[in-house]
Amino acid sequence: MRSSLRRRGAGLLAMLAITGSVILVGVAGPVAAADPVTLSVGTTQDLDASNPFNTELVVGYEAFELTYSLLVDFDKDAHPAPGFADSWERSADRVTFHIGADRKWSDGQPATSADVCYSWGLALAANKDESYIGSGYLDPGTKDAGVTKIECPDPTTFIAYTTDPSDRIFQVYVPILPEHIWGKDDYKKIGDEKFDAPLVGTGPYTLAEWKTGQFARFVRNPNWWGPNKGFEDEVVLRFFADNTDTMVQALKSGELDYAHGVNSDQFKQLQADTATYTTVAGAANGWTQLAFNTYGTGTGKTIKNGGASTKALQDTAFRDALGYATDHKALVDRVLGGFGDPGDTVVPPVLTDYHVTPDTVRTFNIDLAKQKLDAAGYVLDASGKRLDKEGKEINLRLYYPNTDDNYKKVAQFVEQWYGELGIGVTHQSFDSDTLTDLLLPPEGGGTAKYDIELWGWSGSPDPNGLLYVFLCNQIGTSSDSLWCNKEYDDLYAKESKEGGADRKATLAQMQNLVYNEAPYDVLYYDANLDVYRNDRFAGWQNMPSNGTPFFSYGILDYTLLTDATLVPTPGPTVAAATAGPVATQGPSTSGTSGQGGNSTLILVLVVAAIVIVGGAWLYRRRSARAVEEE
Amino acid sequence: MSGRYLGRKLIQAIVTVVAIILLNFVLFRLMPGSPERALRNPHLTAEVIAGNRARWGLDKPLFPDQLVDYVQETLTGDLGYSIKYRGQPVTDVVLNAMGPTLLLIGLGEIVAIVIGLALGARSGWVRGGIVDRIGNGLSLIFYSMPYFVIGMPLIIIFAAGLHWFPTSGMTSPGGDKDLVATLFDLGRHLVLPLAAVSLGLIGAYSILMRASIIETRAEDYVTTARAKGLADSRILRAHAFPNALLPMVTLIAINLGYVVAGAITAEIVFTWPGLGTLTVQALDARDYPLLQAIFLIVAVSVVLANLAADIIYGYLDPRVRS
Repeated sequence: MRSSLRRRGAGLLAMLAITGSVILVGVAGPVAAADPVTLSVGTTQDLDASNPFNTELVVGYEAFELTYSLLVDFDKDAHPAPGFADSWERSADRVTFHIGADRKWSDGQPATSADVCYSWGLALAANKDESYIGSGYLDPGTKDAGVTKIECPDPTTFIAYTTDPSDRIFQVYVPILPEHIWGKDDYKKIGDEKFDAPLVGTGPYTLAEWKTGQFARFVRNPNWWGPNKGFEDEVVLRFFADNTDTMVQALKSGELDYAHGVNSDQFKQLQADTATYTTVAGAANGWTQLAFNTYGTGTGKTIKNGGASTKALQDTAFRDALGYATDHKALVDRVLGGFGDPGDTVVPPVLTDYHVTPDTVRTFNIDLAKQKLDAAGYVLDASGKRLDKEGKEINLRLYYPNTDDNYKKVAQFVEQWYGELGIGVTHQSFDSDTLTDLLLPPEGGGTAKYDIELWGWSGSPDPNGLLYVFLCNQIGTSSDSLWCNKEYDDLYAKESKEGGADRKATLAQMQNLVYNEAPYDVLYYDANLDVYRNDRFAGWQNMPSNGTPFFSYGILDYTLLTDATLVPTPGPTVAAATAGPVATQGPSTSGTSGQGGNSTLILVLVVAAIVIVGGAWLYRRRSARAVEEE
Repeated sequence: MSGRYLGRKLIQAIVTVVAIILLNFVLFRLMPGSPERALRNPHLTAEVIAGNRARWGLDKPLFPDQLVDYVQETLTGDLGYSIKYRGQPVTDVVLNAMGPTLLLIGLGEIVAIVIGLALGARSGWVRGGIVDRIGNGLSLIFYSMPYFVIGMPLIIIFAAGLHWFPTSGMTSPGGDKDLVATLFDLGRHLVLPLAAVSLGLIGAYSILMRASIIETRAEDYVTTARAKGLADSRILRAHAFPNALLPMVTLIAINLGYVVAGAITAEIVFTWPGLGTLTVQALDARDYPLLQAIFLIVAVSVVLANLAADIIYGYLDPRVRS
């Protein structure tokens, strides 16, 4: 009996030793004094490609902009700022860019206009062949900007000829790649390149390591020529695919300095702790809309066995009346938790240079909506159901993707509000692909069997990226209202050749036209909910002023950060004192930077574990033998 | 074991694998949507979309062109290129994710098998005892909990609260670590997900083992062993436990087959870069080649694990062979 107890005790001891060793090894993190200062940024997207031409995600843009400069960058207000080029002159048919003579790539090779000619040349070659590079997101930029020809007369000069004097050439998202590395690739081949780390770039930080599904690490570019250098030696983008819960825990634990895209509940919770965190509800460059199926508007076409369930949706007066029946403010408050802005036009307010408030704003008023419907000939029957002009009850099918829980809430509100008008609404969610197929008209190989689509768009720094969707030639591809208006198309062609105040005036006309014609009811402009810690870094700046520090336009903020412990700011200082962060470029408490290899400690722990386990095993063997001898 | 029995099982396995290969092709093409629709790029013209379809071989007729291409390529080990992770061969993407999954789920299985069987045996042997009451209760609780419900409290307590372990991921950034530091780093990242996976699996093993031991306990040979005066612990270890293991072979074999598939929720909650996470990413992107490869590997693993179980069963129990 005693022996049995002893054996059990030995077994338990061995198990405890193993478990304890694992925990000890885990807990006692090795710390090296020479650890670099690391800025850790979390996002709910997983980087899809390090090849700039292949990424389709916001995080991909953030990653490639850290490594590769754009010819023209963005300043804090998203206006053009020096990038690969220091300065430029605009004339009627061309822009002449000037590049500093002493510029170098991160590997020390000279960075010249030849690199620009190579990179922009890829895009122009794709445009010329009416083809595309990689996933086809970046190269249309040169086409939109009206670039017809490029020249590099000397290493410091790059000339781009354009069809018009517009300013869109300053927002072209074509990364300047090192010709000495990729020069052998044409536009077809470059899209298939993996761009394995480490990469050579001219950005402030270059990609040094990418672990799919985990993180991408960027190291400081020793040859970065920008005016500012960030306090951080390294930037780590950490990926929490569709997992805000763990991302927030990582922020709380200090593993992250910045979290992009938390949900509203997490945001409010963190908002309460102002000493530790700063919360930013930045205006997003996008919206959520009701898109009405107006197929036939402007074209007179019909769809056999398809299309909208009522012709009323082709009637501007009907759509206008519906616009008075959706309370945009209530949606922001009750669906978005107060984070966002009520929607109006198809240019989001974050594009401050271009957004206008409509000349005639629709305000939520159910009675007025009823009056307008009556006046337009959509009367109620005896049972209180609204009839279309063919005498048929109006029951609308509202479809939305299953990618966002908010859509269902919005659909329920719309059902209620339209119901008060006597209009029935049935709503249903689909996966994004199925919904996209459902929206396609005959031009895209479908039958467009829907009435209202509830979804959203996000855009680029130039409003054309979003305004493009409303062109007649987009029916069958990106148009989800299937609206066609020649006046709009003409205005688009006009503003595409304009710049400055003229373009702004035309864009205002276009916004009012879409608002008044109402193929869309823009419900709200979403917000990006970002949070950063105050204890390690200071100098944060929203870009633009109503945006967020990161995941916006450009990577300026990465170069502006300073040591929080040296900055006497009211909130962060308190947090810094309590959190015990780095005072110099010393060891970090962050889980992502606590490495380096205190091998002695580890070896001691491992040896101790082996001795304990081995001892227990020997003891047990001896005891067992003793029992057998008994 | 007879060669006939073995041959029959092998033929069954081969037929199943062929059926899986064909089903693999049909299944993902029955799904709504398509890869180019997963992109909602307003700049993509109809020509560009058509070009993408041609590039991915989707412009050809499903039968026979796409099917023949697929079968030929699969049989030659060419699983194509990933649509989501552009420019990367599917085999590279899958192999990169398979290692982390094998490590996490494989280790989790081993830990769960050892602890679960021991706990179940002790619970069943001394029914109503303290180990049974606490162990069986906990087993039922963990068995009924999804991995993310187990994992999130672990993260909140041990990572965010006590700072003992990292919240997520498999490695820390920084590629210049020596071997010991690399293993140490991996160990730190492994502890919490391993705990979550093991806790989730222990319940299944413990509950089944407990039932099996209870059944075995009433067998005549156990009574005989007692009558001979053998110590209780020896009866359990030498007589009851081995005989109670037989039903466990099935469960272990099936579970080992799924080791490759990974535990999707566990991998997601800890952002563990394994096949479970990859499956979700591939589904989002309608990445047919990647999905086909994952499905094929998982299905073949399950078939092989079952074949192994059949063979082991045949070896352990002569009645099965007949």
